[in-house]
Amino acid sequence: MNDVYSHNICECADKPLKEFISTLDREIAHHRVEGQSVKCGFGLQGICCRLCSNGPCRITPEGQHGICGANADTIVARNFLRAVAAGSGCYIHVVENTALNLRNTGLNKGTIKGKNALNSLCKKFGIDASSMDDHEKCVKVADMVLADLYAPEYEKMKLVEKIAYKPRYEKWKELGILPGGAKGEVFNGIVKSSTNLNSDPVNMYLHCLKLGISTGLYGLTLTNLLNDVMLGEPEIVQAAVGLHVIDPDYINVMITGHQHSMIAYLQDKMIDPDVVKKAQDAGAKGFKLVGCTCVGQDLQLRGVHYKEVFAGHAGNNFTSEAVLSTGAIDGVLSEFNCTLPGIEPICDDLGIVQICLDDVAKKANAEYMPFYDNDEKELSDKIIDKFINSYKARRPNVKINIPNHGNKETITGVSEGSLGKLLGGNLQPLLDLILKGMIKGVAGIVGCSNMTALGHDVFTVELTKELIARDILVLSAGCSTGGIENCGLMTPAAANFAGPNLKAVCEQLGIPPALNFGPCLSIGRLELVVVELAELAGVDLPQLPVVLSAPQWLEEQALADGCFGLALGLPLHLGLPPFVTGSNVAVDVFTNQMKELTGGQLIIDMEVKSSADKLEAIILEKRSLLGI
Amino acid sequence: MKRIIIKTDKCDGCLNCSFACMSAHRDESQSKDDSFYTLNMLSESNQSRNHIDSDGKGRYIPLFCRHCDDPKCVEACMSGALVKNLKSGYVEYDKDICGKCFMCVMSCPYGMASPDRLTNTHVVKCDFCKDKEHKPSCVDSCPKKAIVVEEVL
Repeated sequence: MNDVYSHNICECADKPLKEFISTLDREIAHHRVEGQSVKCGFGLQGICCRLCSNGPCRITPEGQHGICGANADTIVARNFLRAVAAGSGCYIHVVENTALNLRNTGLNKGTIKGKNALNSLCKKFGIDASSMDDHEKCVKVADMVLADLYAPEYEKMKLVEKIAYKPRYEKWKELGILPGGAKGEVFNGIVKSSTNLNSDPVNMYLHCLKLGISTGLYGLTLTNLLNDVMLGEPEIVQAAVGLHVIDPDYINVMITGHQHSMIAYLQDKMIDPDVVKKAQDAGAKGFKLVGCTCVGQDLQLRGVHYKEVFAGHAGNNFTSEAVLSTGAIDGVLSEFNCTLPGIEPICDDLGIVQICLDDVAKKANAEYMPFYDNDEKELSDKIIDKFINSYKARRPNVKINIPNHGNKETITGVSEGSLGKLLGGNLQPLLDLILKGMIKGVAGIVGCSNMTALGHDVFTVELTKELIARDILVLSAGCSTGGIENCGLMTPAAANFAGPNLKAVCEQLGIPPALNFGPCLSIGRLELVVVELAELAGVDLPQLPVVLSAPQWLEEQALADGCFGLALGLPLHLGLPPFVTGSNVAVDVFTNQMKELTGGQLIIDMEVKSSADKLEAIILEKRSLLGI
Repeated sequence: MKRIIIKTDKCDGCLNCSFACMSAHRDESQSKDDSFYTLNMLSESNQSRNHIDSDGKGRYIPLFCRHCDDPKCVEACMSGALVKNLKSGYVEYDKDICGKCFMCVMSCPYGMASPDRLTNTHVVKCDFCKDKEHKPSCVDSCPKKAIVVEEVL
């Protein structure tokens, strides 16, 4: 406990969660917000440069250039490009490992749970699969993805043309922003933004759009589709969410990360009769995976295939410390972000074993058990034994306190495929509802949860309420979803919060007004939904009454996602400025010139109601331009 | 007589003034020099004498000792540890004769005297960096010139 910080906790949209946190005798992120409330103005505006030993240089009225001569526009652009390159690198790491796992599934004749997904990928990629068995198809698909990721920056990636919406592809070609090899583009972004290299803000922002395209099409869209092959396709079901999904009678493992395929073998192994027997010998009923962060959302999305091992999704990134504080978690298994450093002292205090499968997210007190250096069967056995030992060692010494938090009626498993199925085969009925005005438009509320845009999940939940009340259908993907679902807006009963037309649609279809697409990776699924709507309507994406908002974006990955949204030509709202407001060029490019470039635009607004007003006005304007 | 004048609208809340204050008053055992590079920001013994509050709407409120003409802290001090130096204008503090009653902490209307965080055995308060080569350190470090030293009557 750090006494320098306040014992007051920040605002939280989720009142039962806030109440639980207020009873904790430990400091978590919610307590640290007040102590960190004074921020550096230079940092917030992006006008602090620490690229060389002359710095940090900061732009002031009396000193409008850094020592090297860089002005605010150059400094902001370099900082922004660095962040987008890092964020892109994160998602490209995820898709790279996912493709490697699919390749290994093929080579090792592993389990394939999504044969339709595999065939549809072969078709999309133009693979002549007539003489191939399913495992050969896996290898071929994975190899094509990996070849693009590993291509040099000067060679355009080959799958872009096959998987992108044609009018968008043509637009990107015209703008010269078709990405080369995805890893090479990240590398070049880092080089460009280093000391005394690129000083041209517009060149750097165009590079950001390239990174947005590679991040979106590969890191987001393809990661989902490859995972669907290994882990099964999403199906719409009702599920329990919140801290009450934790059952103390089981050995509970909280999962954090973004790489679901890394636990593909383990999650099946945990319900093997011999493993269940081992757990029973230790005094538990068996094993349960407790969802947290995006890998939990991903497991929830495919929950229909994992009814036995998956306890349910407990909450998002800034709920993880509360999940552990229940005392009922025996192990943390992580393979990527958003695994907060704040969980470490809690794990130490409560004797919770932390295991990390990928050293890009190695936590200080976690045991690193490298996924790729081990046979997955042996690795799974070792992990299971460690968690059993943790359970035996810690349970006699800890007090368990699971609050009545969450609900049992959240509708999950929504994807481009399952939504189409629900509507009778494709998304034409959704388009018809939009054309008729029963649904005014579609808003993707995506990205993270942060603590500073009005409080934990406050902006996200309030904006969702504002939009659905205006008959705008909300699709959510990311930790935003974790907040929206825990606050009950993804239950059928939430239709009562919707405007009269949307409410009628929800009641007729038995769906909530905010649809749960799962992890942030599913921003790629939203892209597939929007593309299908555009195809059916015969228009390009910027013409659709569709908007995006990342009201509580948190990190560099979210900025790369945002660049994808802008490259798609969609209006993108952010609830906090992305450290660019110190540069007039940046503000002009993002909020103005982008409309001419891609059709997209950035809207920065830190208030809920005026944000909703602006998003609704854009939707109405697009409707009127379409003549609907 | 010199005073620190605060221009609230210029403050960006960067906390450089607090950093400089901690650096100027750091325990010498921590490092040999007074470079910003070597200030241990993880040590709670480093306690700033100035504070920046946020008004929650994106603006900041810099709080600095005013070395008041009619100092309430001096009025409340029974041991004589706090004295208004009429020549320099500074409100000066003598740790050695301080009775640790902390009435000054209670009395300052601006909250500018605090008990020391680690031991609660003395008061932490602005000394205008009168013993330092650069003075005051906070003013020197403010990139926005939101705090300036002015001669007042």
